[in-house]
Amino acid sequence: MKRAAWSLLVLIALAALAAPWLAPNPPNRRFDDLLYAPPTPVHIFSDGLHAPFINPLRLVNRLERRFEADAATQVSLRWFNGTLVTADPDADAPLLFLGADGYGRDIFSRLLYGAQATLAVSLLSALLTTILGACVGGLAAYVGGWLDGVLSRVSEFVLVLPAIYVALVLRAVLPLVLPPSTVFVLLIGIFTLLGWPIVARGVRAIVLVEREREYVIAAHAAGASDGRILLRHLLPASAGFLQTQASLLVPAFMLAEATLSYVGLGFPNTIPTWGTMLQDASNVALLGDAPWSLAPAAAIFVVVLGVNLLAQSHGRAPVQLEP
Amino acid sequence: MTPSRSRLPGILVMGVLFVGALVWWRGCDPAPSSSLAGEPSTPANEPRERGGQAIASLRAEPQTFNRLASSDQTTETLAMLMQGRLVRINRSTFELEPWLAERWESNDDGRTHTLHLRQGVTWSDGAPFTSEDVLFSLRAAYDPNVKSPVASSLMIGGQPIAATAPDASTVVLTYPSPSGPGIRLLDMLPILPKHKLESALSSGRFAQAWGSSTAPGEIVGTGPFLLREYQPGQRLVFDRNPRYWRKAANGDALPYLDRLVLEVVPDQNAELLRLQSGATDLTNSELRSDDYIPVRRAEAQGKLTMVELGVSPDADAFWFCLKPEKKARDPRFAFVAKREFRQAISHAVDREAFAQTVFLGEAVPIWGPITSGNRLWFSPNVPRYPFDVARARQLLESIGLQDRNGNGVVEDQVGTEARFTVITQQGIGYYERGTTVLREQAAAVGIALDVVPLEFSAMVARLLACDYDAIYMRPLTTDLDPAGNLDYWLSSGSAHLWNMRQKAPATDWERRIDSLMHEQSAVLGLQRRREIFTEVQNVLAENVPVLYFASPRLYYAHSRRLRGVVPSILRPPVLWNADSFSISSPR
Amino acid sequence: MARLLARRLLFAGVLIALTSSSALFLARLAPGDMTSQLGPFASPVDIENTRTRFNLDRSPISQWGLWVSRAMRLDFGESFLYNRPVAPLVVRAAGNTALLGVVSLLLATLAGLSLGVFTGARSGTLPMLVRSVSLVCVSLPPLVTSLALVFLAARTGWLPAGGMVSSTASDQTWSVWMLDVLRHLPLPVLALALPMAATFERLQSQSMADAVHQPFVLAAIARGVPATRALLRHAWPSSLRPICGVYGLAIGALLSGSFIVEFVTAWPGLGRLTFEALRARDVYLVAACAASGAAFLALGTMTGDLLLAAADPRVRQESVG
Repeated sequence: MKRAAWSLLVLIALAALAAPWLAPNPPNRRFDDLLYAPPTPVHIFSDGLHAPFINPLRLVNRLERRFEADAATQVSLRWFNGTLVTADPDADAPLLFLGADGYGRDIFSRLLYGAQATLAVSLLSALLTTILGACVGGLAAYVGGWLDGVLSRVSEFVLVLPAIYVALVLRAVLPLVLPPSTVFVLLIGIFTLLGWPIVARGVRAIVLVEREREYVIAAHAAGASDGRILLRHLLPASAGFLQTQASLLVPAFMLAEATLSYVGLGFPNTIPTWGTMLQDASNVALLGDAPWSLAPAAAIFVVVLGVNLLAQSHGRAPVQLEP
Repeated sequence: MTPSRSRLPGILVMGVLFVGALVWWRGCDPAPSSSLAGEPSTPANEPRERGGQAIASLRAEPQTFNRLASSDQTTETLAMLMQGRLVRINRSTFELEPWLAERWESNDDGRTHTLHLRQGVTWSDGAPFTSEDVLFSLRAAYDPNVKSPVASSLMIGGQPIAATAPDASTVVLTYPSPSGPGIRLLDMLPILPKHKLESALSSGRFAQAWGSSTAPGEIVGTGPFLLREYQPGQRLVFDRNPRYWRKAANGDALPYLDRLVLEVVPDQNAELLRLQSGATDLTNSELRSDDYIPVRRAEAQGKLTMVELGVSPDADAFWFCLKPEKKARDPRFAFVAKREFRQAISHAVDREAFAQTVFLGEAVPIWGPITSGNRLWFSPNVPRYPFDVARARQLLESIGLQDRNGNGVVEDQVGTEARFTVITQQGIGYYERGTTVLREQAAAVGIALDVVPLEFSAMVARLLACDYDAIYMRPLTTDLDPAGNLDYWLSSGSAHLWNMRQKAPATDWERRIDSLMHEQSAVLGLQRRREIFTEVQNVLAENVPVLYFASPRLYYAHSRRLRGVVPSILRPPVLWNADSFSISSPR
Repeated sequence: MARLLARRLLFAGVLIALTSSSALFLARLAPGDMTSQLGPFASPVDIENTRTRFNLDRSPISQWGLWVSRAMRLDFGESFLYNRPVAPLVVRAAGNTALLGVVSLLLATLAGLSLGVFTGARSGTLPMLVRSVSLVCVSLPPLVTSLALVFLAARTGWLPAGGMVSSTASDQTWSVWMLDVLRHLPLPVLALALPMAATFERLQSQSMADAVHQPFVLAAIARGVPATRALLRHAWPSSLRPICGVYGLAIGALLSGSFIVEFVTAWPGLGRLTFEALRARDVYLVAACAASGAAFLALGTMTGDLLLAAADPRVRQESVG
């Protein structure tokens, strides 16, 4: 299972990196007459087998979002022409694998490009949060006493703080236009600093018990330093929890990124992310008509699935207790 | 120990089921019908049934029940349900209707108006309505302790209206100077009961009286409904006022409804879902163009009636901060302050495409703040700037802006780029689409715009401090009469978007507009007022400190069983006429 | 034990005071203030009056000092948005949210823990299916879940599409009112409980899988203890450690209210109130909401720690505090 999980994640990462080549259309190209257009079906039959082609989608009624495929015209696909596949650029008929969003932008291409920002921010933040939380939680539980008290109270304070105000204040003191790299670092910083208490509490609970175990006492007796005990013995005991918690943090951060962009602390409009794409699609009255706009939710699910499978495969396989 | 089997098949099954469910769900929905026209409202001579309950949804709760203490939109709507006024401006025809004042005479110079109050009107607790209540309400509106937001709308040239009551059913109003709107101003004044609020006024606590935690029985009015219960966060329940004075044209006692419930539903999506499912009969706001399809479908299924309200009197505006005190040191101000720059942007925007993309085609192009929805004051001959990229570039060159280094952005002689940040309010689809289109079309002539959506309060803070380059938002008009919008037109006004609260007009054309607007609000005679105002619009269009692009057509929907709905392009769209509502089959 | 409880209560008090004070200061720091709600074009007189009324014209320290002195007399200030004292507003909203939170927590705990035990100790198609459903629930954004549920309710009409009480039931007898609330509960409860149950299931599943390998469990089986009893009596209690760690956070979060769920389902709760207050910069209301959030969190973590001590006797007494 480990291999399947790894391959899935590596595939997604490669797709994200190769987005400029895989995406049929630029992520910010708007097709004014194709707002909320459905996915373009690719045909291979036309009087027998034919090279793949699409029929252009014509707008019938803009307000009612009705489109008609122009069966008479056939637009051929171009392969390996700058991108893997795209529709003939001369014809006014883009290849929309997953349809278009409310601005007429290709959802599939935005998904690929969006993977870059979304995955980078959420995976990195989850990793850093887990590391920071594990260290703080493990330290608090191991040392105990006043340090434990202080760290626990600090973690509670961080959790209750109205994070949205922190975000607003940051927005006010930072310049209005932030380069994407700054936004990237900022987001990871905010997530890590606000997310570590969740991890810390779980780790603390585990280490509190583990430190009473015989092997820890034995290690002490053998002269091992505190740091070594913590790192080599106690923290690995919480590995299972850490992996599960990290995999829970990934979708949370993907969605939190969308919330922060609501406050103005997100990537500029020209850089798509899965969270903001979902927010755009949250007009649920349309879900019945345009289910393809939920593609970002499916993408998030696939990534979370991969991370979960990966996390699980590191744990031990469930024991079958019946003979 | 059995080796774990592959988990992929199970997940694939789930995925297929999920996708299959979505596809099936989609297939179940009938295709929307193709016509656009909505049904007209109830024919006037249809017999009406008495009784029943209507449920409306509100997006926000009221701050207070005291209309004189707050200009909050919900408070205003509730005042229309519970209180009366001397005269009413019909929000559909914009005619002046007698209300608590049955008839009136004005003398020739338009400064003295004698109003004869309707006989036999009582407050909902039985006390008689007299001219004392009118004098009291005016006094409360002007009282300095109350600091009522209504006061400034009732002042002529900064002076209050004097009122006397020769007898219990006559009020004589003396205006300090001639006023164009005249009696129409009285539509803004809610008449409040002296016998309930006199003590609050004299003890200086009037502004806190009738707050949102007041016991419902304390709130007495001459309106069609009485507040029965307020459950904070949930709903307001109104009962019929048995002592309501008004009768329908055929003599029926109004209101027809026994009960009106206003549910608090903050989320617009949920509000629409409730309307579609029949949980509510009407909403208190117009539809978004995105909601057109599901409402259309519900109409085809016979659940809803859709009405076109008309062209919105508001439009999205785009302007640069032109305050010299703040911007003089900014090198870009040298060319932004020139009107050719703004005219160039106006030429660069294809308003038809704008209407198509931002409002899905349901909008009309406009070039000024007065839209065709404001029938009385709209001037179709205001100078326009047709879509002409070449002309835009020409205008930019005429003030020294050219793309000298080939990067696509124009610069002036010293190399200052025409690059600006545009702030807008986060989370509103029209703003996001509008700024996207604007950015692309400005880029085509070499002006770079970076759009930064901000949270509402942060945006307002920057707006008030002129701490922005450019801003894109929709300022709401409350009054269609320009004399009620002096804050926007006058250079000293608090709503003079591009340069608020000037001590003296910063430019010649603003001085000209100031004097024209003063003239317009003092002159009697609609024809002359319109002529002057057309000239004001022309001056504004020539100097184009604010740019307007398109104004949306507004639609509204309500349940089929609701009758007597008279829609309006002003807010509230239908609750202004709630006394005429009836249910076609009462529960 | 009493000494520990007293110490935790003291800490909780400090946390509450600290949080509400920071909320007050942060609200002053954030751009704009409540006067933005008057609209961008309000008259300067209006703006000044509002500022004076809420002590915003003073320095932050002075405003805070005034607020503290009034709080001593149990006067927590007024709300600008609702034009009434803050305390009754918060208490009522907290009550509504508590109802929702307790029911959701019970449901999520029962469903999540039991399913987690099941999937952690077994392998096969059914556990795999359960795991997949869990994954779906965890990765769906709460906004999409709530909207989808409201959509379903509105389309099918099985449940009321939002709100807490119907307009017809508000003036009826208490039992009718209770039944009506019960009809309105499932929608927001599902929206809240599904992701929480999925989280519990994931955590429980992982720690169960670990616990099952403990030597004392295998020893119990070797002794002849039936498998199910070995699972429940021996393995499960020791698997509860990390869950108790985050359980307190779950309690705190649920009782503070989820803004999204309450907003979409129109439930008049604390989460929605907090968000509206934050958005409008209604300072005293924000401080009170932050204080109640802190109180719930402190309550939650205390409960979590107590549960931890109860579930796993290996945890030393002094660790709880």
